Amino acid sequence: MTARLTDTLIDLLSANVAPVRPLRSPMRRALETLALLAALGALAILLLPDSNPIAVRGAGEKVQAGMEMAAMFATGTLAVVGAFHLSIAGRSRRWLALPLLPFAAWLMLSGVGCYRDFIQRGSAGLELGHSADCLIFILGASLLLGAPLIWRLSRAAPIDPLPVAALGGLGAAAFSAFLLQFFHPFVVTFLDLVVHLVAIAIVIGLTALLKRPILRPA
Amino acid sequence: MLAAAQAGDADAYRAFLTAATPFVRALARRRVAGAAAAEDVVQDVLLTVHRIRHTYEPGRPVEPWLAAITARRAIDALRRSDRSGARETHHPIAYETYADPAANEKETIVETEALGRLIETLPPGQREALELVKLKQMSLAEASAVSGQSVGSLKVNVHRAIKRLRLAIMKDGKGHDRATD
Repeated sequence: MTARLTDTLIDLLSANVAPVRPLRSPMRRALETLALLAALGALAILLLPDSNPIAVRGAGEKVQAGMEMAAMFATGTLAVVGAFHLSIAGRSRRWLALPLLPFAAWLMLSGVGCYRDFIQRGSAGLELGHSADCLIFILGASLLLGAPLIWRLSRAAPIDPLPVAALGGLGAAAFSAFLLQFFHPFVVTFLDLVVHLVAIAIVIGLTALLKRPILRPA
Repeated sequence: MLAAAQAGDADAYRAFLTAATPFVRALARRRVAGAAAAEDVVQDVLLTVHRIRHTYEPGRPVEPWLAAITARRAIDALRRSDRSGARETHHPIAYETYADPAANEKETIVETEALGRLIETLPPGQREALELVKLKQMSLAEASAVSGQSVGSLKVNVHRAIKRLRLAIMKDGKGHDRATD
């Protein structure tokens, strides 16, 4: 196609320009979405049976559990903030690295917890706990929290949807794992941890795989 | 200018697209080989800008936004080209009617010019539909967004344009035959 057609295209596009409402800043949209996800999470804790808003895993492990939950929450929050920034063309790829530090802290703290449990309980620390339930919970909660998150991300029609989908998936999975702690007042074994990680990987993988139909990139 | 275009100012939008095109073209030429392929990328970028103009945040520099869109569309073009290159074989002789290459070339130019003149005679709606859907190979949805015509109208207009062109060519061919008899 020639430059003449480019000029014709400019004429056509400018002749048919309709007013549009600019999207608000990515940070503001991220904060609004986080508020929405917090409301959904609080509703789930209050309404679902078997929840305990002050559930703590294992006696005497309050500090450990608190740090782990803080790391999960920070991972989810920073992943959502990063996803909103990356959904806009021209934003730095460094937003991808934003949740990596709390994510690493989360994995390390969970690993240390499992190791301590293994030392205390011996081979019982390697047994499979309520892993199947955890898997279903994380996948279900990710669907609940991920749907409004993805819908809001799709408003930007991201031109490069993969990093947006990956961070969105990580955000939904991290918040689901955070939510799980209110329904999970028992010790996490090594195998439980592996199942949690598999559930998170499934959520991120599915979001990345379905990036085009769900994010509707331009 | 883009902020004004977001408010629906057609003149500002035209000025923005016109000013942005050389910048986009320079970036496209650095990323894809061939002027025609680069021009395709420029047109893809303009269509993408049109679709996501609401994502530009007024007050921020527009160059990184445009550069990212151009880079992405250039990657898409290279992928398309790789895919078609892997599946299709170019066989120039297959397009030839006569053994003498000059004869083919002359006829192509004459026919292209004649066809261009016939297209100019089409009613505006049909000409626009034909240019967008068949010549620029836009999807019906894209062409609808650009032209403001509904998808149904576009289909009807393309069909009528082709029918009208076919009739005009046949009529022209008969006249030509009579003249040569």
